[in-house]
Amino acid sequence: MSTTERPTTPPEPMTPEIVSREGNSMVLSMGPQHPSTHGVLQIMLEIEGETVVKAEPEIGYLHTGIEKSAENLFWTQAQTVIERMDYLAPESNALCYALAAERLLGIEGKIPERAQTIRVLFSELTRMASHCVWLGTHGIDIGAISVFFYCFDLRENLLDLQEAAGGARMHPNYVRIGGVNGDLPQGFLDRFDALLEKFPGRMRDLRGLLQANPIFQDRTIDVGTLTPEEAVRWNVTGPALRASGIAYDVRRAFPYCGFETYEFDVPTRSEGDAYARFLVRLDEMEESYKILKQVRRRLETPGAVMIDDPKIAAPPKETIALSMEALIHHFKIVSEGFRIPPGDAYASVESPRGELGYYIVSDGGNRPYRIRTRPPSLYNLQVLKHIAPGNLIADLVVMIGSLDPVFGEVDR
Amino acid sequence: MPSTQTPSITGLATDPTSLRVDVGDAEVRRVELAALRATMEELHASGYSMLLDLGAVDYPERTPRFDVVYHLLAMPVKASTLAEVGTPKRLRVLCGVDGEKPVCPSVMDIWPSADWAEREVFDLFGITFTGHEDLRRIQMPYDWEGHPLRKDYPLRGPARERAPRPAFALKSNVVAGAPPSGRTLEALQAQVKAARERAARESES
Repeated sequence: MSTTERPTTPPEPMTPEIVSREGNSMVLSMGPQHPSTHGVLQIMLEIEGETVVKAEPEIGYLHTGIEKSAENLFWTQAQTVIERMDYLAPESNALCYALAAERLLGIEGKIPERAQTIRVLFSELTRMASHCVWLGTHGIDIGAISVFFYCFDLRENLLDLQEAAGGARMHPNYVRIGGVNGDLPQGFLDRFDALLEKFPGRMRDLRGLLQANPIFQDRTIDVGTLTPEEAVRWNVTGPALRASGIAYDVRRAFPYCGFETYEFDVPTRSEGDAYARFLVRLDEMEESYKILKQVRRRLETPGAVMIDDPKIAAPPKETIALSMEALIHHFKIVSEGFRIPPGDAYASVESPRGELGYYIVSDGGNRPYRIRTRPPSLYNLQVLKHIAPGNLIADLVVMIGSLDPVFGEVDR
Repeated sequence: MPSTQTPSITGLATDPTSLRVDVGDAEVRRVELAALRATMEELHASGYSMLLDLGAVDYPERTPRFDVVYHLLAMPVKASTLAEVGTPKRLRVLCGVDGEKPVCPSVMDIWPSADWAEREVFDLFGITFTGHEDLRRIQMPYDWEGHPLRKDYPLRGPARERAPRPAFALKSNVVAGAPPSGRTLEALQAQVKAARERAARESES
C-alpha cells in the first residue's frame, strides 16, 4: 500500500496508516477510478473474502479550492465558482449563497414575489434533474441499464429549461443576490407545460422499471441500514435522514423563498435501508412535481424579478443610455462590485442531497471574507465507514449509490 | 505574504463577528477555549443532538487569531413526523483559537460526525484537535506544505506566487506590488498602433 510511504508534515498526530493487514484479511484500494464510485472516491478496504472488515474513504481528489477562490472574487463573481460545487444541482448552491448574502445585506424581505417563485421553480427543477442522475447511475450500479436512458432523457428536458432561462445547460448562474438574472424568456411557459405533461408518464416508467423489480429489491432491501439515532449522530440529512424516519426538511423547518405557502408533503420511510432511500427520492420527485404545478399558476402574474436597489443590482441595460445615474451605478457594480456590511450569517436550503448551508463572513468589503460550506454530501458520505463493515463489496456499491454523494461538493 | 493578485477594497473590521447585527439565523454563543469541552458536553446533553457543521475562520490581525465555528441543531433522536421536528433550535458556537499554538479540543467523541470536519480544519487551517483519533490531511495531499485557507497563504500557492508573472497594466496592480513587466498599457497601445500602421501600408501596396 503506497499511502503508508507518503511523507508527512507536522504537527505530529498524522497517521497515514489507514488500514492494517492482519490475519486472513487483504487490503484493496477501490477507486479513485472506479465506475461505481460516482466520481473520484477512493475507498481503502480491508476485506476477508468478499466481506468488508473496514472501509476508509479517501477524498480530496477533486479539491479545487473553491472556498479560497471565492474569497478573491466579488460577491457576484463568487457565485460562478460556488455553482461548481454541486454540479448536479447548481441552482441549489447559488440560491443558498444568495440567501446568506441577502441575510447580511438585510434585504431578505425585499426580494420581489416573482423572483421568489422563479427561485422555487429552479430549486425544484434542479432537484428533479439531480435525482434523475442519481436514479440512472444507481440503476447502472445494480445492473438495471435501461432506466439510465429514461432518466437522462427526462433530465435533458429539465436542463433545456435551465438553458432557456439562464443561457447555460449546466451552470446557468441564474439566481443572483437580490433576485434572478432577467425574466423568463418568451415561450418558456409552453416548454414548461410540455414538461409538466410529460413528467407523470415518465415517472410511471421509472417506477415500473425498478420499484417492484425483484432483482432490484434483492439488492437494496436491508442494505446499508441507518437507524434514526445513527443518522442523527453521523449528521446525515436529506433523503437519507427521511428514509430513516425523521421528517426533517429545510423547506419546512426553516422555510425560504416562500416555501411555507406551497402545499407538499415530506415523504418519509421507517426502514432506513437503500430501498427506503430509493422510495423517498422517487416520492420527492413527485412532490416536486406538485410544487411545480403551483409554481406554474403563480408564474401567470408578471412582476419584477430583481430587487429595485441600484447599489446591489445593476440597472437595466436600456436605461444606461438615458440616465447618468444608471450609467454610474452600472459602472460601479461591474468594476468593483458592491459591499456587504460586516458580520456573519448562516443560511441553508434543502438541496437534493440534504441540508446545504453557507456560513459567510463579510468584513465590509466587496469580496467575501470567508465562505464556509456545509456540504451535505461530505457528511452523508462519512457515514459509509460506519455502515460498510460486515457487508459484501457488492453491497458497498449499492450503499454509495443510495447515499448519492457528489464529489464536486465533497472535495470543493 | 498576502496575495497581490486581486487588490481588494479592504474592510474596516479585524473581527467582523463583533459587529454582527442579529439576522435571526441562529442563536449565537461565544465560548472560551478552556470551557469549550464542558460547554459542548452540556449542550449535547441538553438536546443538541446534531453537529450540523464545523468550520474555521482566520482573522490574522486579531488575538486569538482563529475562530472555530460550530453549528448545532436540536434534532429529535427518534423517528418523528414533520410536526414533531417543527423548527429545531439552531445554535452557533464560536471559539477563539490562538494563532501561535493553534490547538483545540476535539468533539469527535461527542458527535462522531466531527471526524472529517476536524480533519478538514486541520488540513486547511492548521488547527490541531487534541483527542481526535485519526487527524491527518483530508483534502490536500499528505506531503503538502502549508494550510491553504489561512489568509497569509497566497492564492495561487507559494511556488507560483514567487515567480514573476505577467502583470496587466492596471494601475492598482502595480501599486499592490506586482512585478513590472513589458505588458504596460503604453506598450500594448504601441503594439496596436504598429499593427494598424502595418495593415494600412499593406492595403496601400
